[in-house]
Amino acid sequence: MTSTPTKPTQPVSAQAPPRPHGPVPRRRVRGNRSQLLAIWLFLVPAALLGLYFKSIPMAEGIRLSFFKVQPFLGDVFVGVDNYLAVLTDARFMEALGHTVILGATQTLGALVVGFLLALLLEGQARSLWILRTTIFLPVVTALAVVGEIWRILYFPTADGPLNSILGWLGLGPLQFLNGTDTALWSIAVVGIWSGAPYNMVIILAGLTGVDRSLYESAGVDGATIWQRLRYITLPALRPSLVIVLTLAAIRSLRSFTEVYVLTGGGPAGSTEVWMTRMYSLGFQRNDIGVASAAAVLLLVVTLLLTVGTQVLAKRKAAR
Amino acid sequence: MDSKIKLRSRTAAALTLAAGALLTGCAGGSQAPAAKDDGQPIEVWARAGTDAATTYAAMFKEFTAATGVQVNFQGVPDLDQQLQTRAASKKLPDIVINDSAALGNYTSQGYLQTIDKSAVAGGGTIAESLWKETQGLDGATYGVPFSRQTMVTMIRKDWREKLGLPVPTTQEELAKLATAFATQDPDGNGQADTYGMAVPGSTERGYLGWWASSYLWQDGGAYLKDEGDGKYSASASGAQQGVTWIKQQFCTPGNTQPGALTAATSVASPFFQTGKTGIILTGPYNFSSFDASLGKDKYEVIKTPKGTEDNTVLAEGENIYVTATNGKQDQTRQVIDFLVSAEGQKAGMTAGKQPVVRVPVNSDVDAAAVYNDPRWAVVQDALKNSSRSFPSAINFVPIKQAAAEALNKIVSDCGADNVASGLKDLDAAIDNELAGQNAKS
Repeated sequence: MTSTPTKPTQPVSAQAPPRPHGPVPRRRVRGNRSQLLAIWLFLVPAALLGLYFKSIPMAEGIRLSFFKVQPFLGDVFVGVDNYLAVLTDARFMEALGHTVILGATQTLGALVVGFLLALLLEGQARSLWILRTTIFLPVVTALAVVGEIWRILYFPTADGPLNSILGWLGLGPLQFLNGTDTALWSIAVVGIWSGAPYNMVIILAGLTGVDRSLYESAGVDGATIWQRLRYITLPALRPSLVIVLTLAAIRSLRSFTEVYVLTGGGPAGSTEVWMTRMYSLGFQRNDIGVASAAAVLLLVVTLLLTVGTQVLAKRKAAR
Repeated sequence: MDSKIKLRSRTAAALTLAAGALLTGCAGGSQAPAAKDDGQPIEVWARAGTDAATTYAAMFKEFTAATGVQVNFQGVPDLDQQLQTRAASKKLPDIVINDSAALGNYTSQGYLQTIDKSAVAGGGTIAESLWKETQGLDGATYGVPFSRQTMVTMIRKDWREKLGLPVPTTQEELAKLATAFATQDPDGNGQADTYGMAVPGSTERGYLGWWASSYLWQDGGAYLKDEGDGKYSASASGAQQGVTWIKQQFCTPGNTQPGALTAATSVASPFFQTGKTGIILTGPYNFSSFDASLGKDKYEVIKTPKGTEDNTVLAEGENIYVTATNGKQDQTRQVIDFLVSAEGQKAGMTAGKQPVVRVPVNSDVDAAAVYNDPRWAVVQDALKNSSRSFPSAINFVPIKQAAAEALNKIVSDCGADNVASGLKDLDAAIDNELAGQNAKS
C-alpha cells in the first residue's frame, strides 16, 4: 500500500526502547530464536503451497522459454530464439497494439465509470446498499458467463437486444462483434461494465476516509461542486486511485476470457490480444517454448508497469 | 525488519529456490525412452466425450470376452493436452486412437512406433488409399486406419418444399437456396429471422479453414500441393474461384447466419439445430443430435452440390496409433486385429449411443446396412468417390489455422477486392510453415 503524507503512527521498531550497549542477555536471544522459529513454522504451510503452485511453475515457465519443448524426446536449448520469434512475429506485434488499446480503454473507462458510480452511491441508506450490491454483481459473475450474455446482447441483426434499442433511436443496426472496426470497442465496453463496479468499491472505501468537515468549510467558503471534487475529493483519493489504476492495468494486459468467449480473436484478427495469441501458440500449435517466452515478456512488462506506477505515486506523494 | 531476520529470510529464499530446482528435476537428454512391458493390462486412450467413451467401453468388453485380454480404456476429451503430460513422465498409454490428422504432430514428437501393415490380420480389407494416409514423412507406416467419414450437406427439407425449390446440385443453386431461406420466410412466422447456411467462420482452432476446404476443392483449388517424397508447396493462389464463392456467401445478407465470422462450430450448429438456418455442411456425427432436436423427417442429407470441377468433400477419420513406450506386442496385435475386424468395426458402430466407427475402414462392412439408414449411404458413397483429406504426414494444424486467418480476413471486408492479395499472403504463410517443418519442396 502507498503511504499517505501524514503518518499517524511510527513503525513499531522505532518506538521500541533503544537496545543497551554491550552483549545481549542470553535469555533474550533464546526468546528471539523460539519466536523466529514460531514465525517460520506458521509460514511453512502457506510457503509450501506458494512454492508448489506459484514459484515452481513460474520458474519452470521461465526455463521453458529458453527451450524447444518436446516433453517426450527431451527439450532442446535454443537460447533466446523463442524471444526473437515472439518479437519478430507481426501478429504478436498487432496483438500488442490491440492489447494496449483495449487495456487503456478498459482501464480509463472502468476508472471513470467506477468513480462516478462511487460518487452517486456513497451513503448509508438501505436503498443505496441494495443498489450497490446489484451494481457489484458483474464482478462476481464468471467472465465466461458474462461473455456469453453479451454475445447475445450484441446479436448483429436488427432484432438483437442492443440493436433493437438503437433502432428506437433511429440508429443501427451495428455489427458490434462481427465488424472489424467495432469488435475491439465492443469488447472494451464489456470490460468496463464488469470492471467498473470493482473500482467503485475501492473508491467508496477511499471516500469514507475523506474528512467531512473539509467539505463543510469549502461550502462555507463558497467552493463549487467541481472545486470540491478537484481540491478535496481527488487528492484524498490518490492512494485508492493508484491501487485501482495498477490493478486495472495488470488485469487489462492479461485479458483473455472475454476476448476468447466473445470473438476468439476475430474477425480478421482485429481483437487478437497478447494472451489469446499466446494461448493459440501454446495449446493449439503445441509451441510451448514460444508461448512461454511470450508469457515471460508479459510478466516483465507487468512488473515494470506496477513498479513504475508505485514509484510515480510515491514521488507525487512525497512532493 | 531487523537485519538478522532479513538475512535469515534471504537464506530461506535461497534454500527454497534450491529445493524447487531439485523437486522439479532437470529434464535432459534427447533420447526417446525405451518400450517396456509393466505387466499391467494394455492401456488404450481415445479422444472421446461421455457418449463415445461408453461405446468404446462396450466395444472393449466384447474384445475381452472374445480374447481374454484385459484392457484399461480411458476416454479423454482433451487428449493432446493429457498426452503431453504423460509424455513428460516418459510413459505414454500403449495405444492411442485419435484423428488421422494427428499423425504428423505425433511423429514429429517421437510418440509413435512404426507398424508392419502386413502383420495386421484383415489389413487386406482396408483400402490401399487409407493405408497411404498413415504414412509419415519418411514413408513408413505409423498408424492403422480405424474409422472414416466425410462432411455432408444437410438441408431443411420442409423449408425447401414449402418454397417449391429443387434439391441443389451446384454451388450456384446452393447459394440461391440460401438466399431464398433468408428472404422468403420459410418457417412462415411472418418475421425475417431465418438464414441460409450455418457456418463456423471463426479462426478459433482453424474452423473456417476446415469448413472452406470442401468448397475450394470443388472449384479446383487447394491450400497445398503434394510434390511427392514427403514434400509440399503452397497453392492457395489457385483457389480464387472457390474463395470468391465463399466470400459471396458471407457478403450476401442472410446467406450465412449473423455473427458467422466469429462463430465456432458450437455456436454455428445450434442455428441449424434450432431452426434458424436451413443449410449446414458438417460431419455425420451430428445425425443423432439433429434427429432429436429437429426430427428425422425435417431435414435431408443430399449429395454434395458440384462446384466448377466436381463435388469433393473433406474426409476425416481416426487411426489407431501404437506408442513408443508400448512393450506389449502380443496384446497390441490382438487389439488392432479386433478393432479392424468385421466384428470390431460393427461393435464400434452399434455398441453404444454414438458410433465411434462412422464409416468402417473394413471393406467387408456396409455402413448403410449396419445402421439401416440410407443417409449413411450418402456418406459412404462420398467417401468412396468424391472425398479428399488433409495430408497427415505433416502437422496440418498450423496450416489450417493460417488458412482460417487468411480467409476470415478476406471475407470480413466485403467492399475490398482482396481475394487475390489475401491468398498470396496465405501462400507465404503456408510456405513459411512448411519450411519450418522441413516439408517444403
